[in-house]
Amino acid sequence: MTRTEFLSRLRQGLVGLPMSVAAEIVADYETHFNDGIAAGRSEAEVATALGDPARLARELRAEAGAQRWHQEKNPSAAAAAVFAVLGLGAIDILILLPILMGVIGTLFGMFIAVIALFVSGGAIMVAGPFAGFPGGVAAALLAGLGLMAGAASAGALLAILTIWLVNGIVWFARLHYRLLKPALEPQANAVTGDPA
Amino acid sequence: MAETIEIQLKKGVLGLCVLALLARADSYAYEIASRLSDAIDMGEGTIYPLMRRMQTDGLVETYLVESSSGPSRKYYRLSPAGRDALVAQSAEWTHFTRAVDAIVANDEAPAAPAPGEAA
Repeated sequence: MTRTEFLSRLRQGLVGLPMSVAAEIVADYETHFNDGIAAGRSEAEVATALGDPARLARELRAEAGAQRWHQEKNPSAAAAAVFAVLGLGAIDILILLPILMGVIGTLFGMFIAVIALFVSGGAIMVAGPFAGFPGGVAAALLAGLGLMAGAASAGALLAILTIWLVNGIVWFARLHYRLLKPALEPQANAVTGDPA
Repeated sequence: MAETIEIQLKKGVLGLCVLALLARADSYAYEIASRLSDAIDMGEGTIYPLMRRMQTDGLVETYLVESSSGPSRKYYRLSPAGRDALVAQSAEWTHFTRAVDAIVANDEAPAAPAPGEAA
């Protein structure tokens, strides 16, 4: 594989990353080729030693996804991190998807329930005193306020739980991903031919 | 099977090796990659995902050095967190290799039943 071929395959694999990040990564590998050629190796030798560009790109994308999730805790960063990690093949999607769907569905349902609780708390607090709430005006105000506070704290707990869950998936995948394995294998064979 | 163990081991200690190399002197990716690929047959390309991850984790920092020939070069140095990680991981590594050595040595002398020692 020539340098141009390697770099274009790498670029293809990095589609979807922010331009600046992709450019920085490609520049790293370009420097690597320059250094290798300065050290007297051929383009093909450097490319072989580097490994499969598509695999490297998947790994770099997963890393970038994890990094983004690290910096911004929002649903789109979470989805990006989880899908980049799935792209690694670290977790079998057929096993994970049904579980993930169940978990996402449960969390979503709980969020809706929390919102409903908050709204009904507000309604009791506002309308209760005029609608003959059992126990009188003060009881209606306190009950409404209590419901709203409970809903807010349950919502906060749910958010923390969701963040933990995504962190957990990213951590698990990083620990287990088997990308380094094939990246190491060809090298083990290539180096045996070297005069050592 | 032996190969699988070797690969798993390398995968586990790559980060530690990079930390140790950088503790001796700041370096750039090509140099780190060639040192590691000479020593432990690592695919050179894997150094870049690894370095980016270590940067994300705050273990290494980068800076640019003007070069007399060509564009400036990106150097890596250990952050304070990286130094802490090196100390912790090399202690873990020593502990682990000693435990394995002890078990393997016991296996070679089957007369002595291996006691369940943890350290």
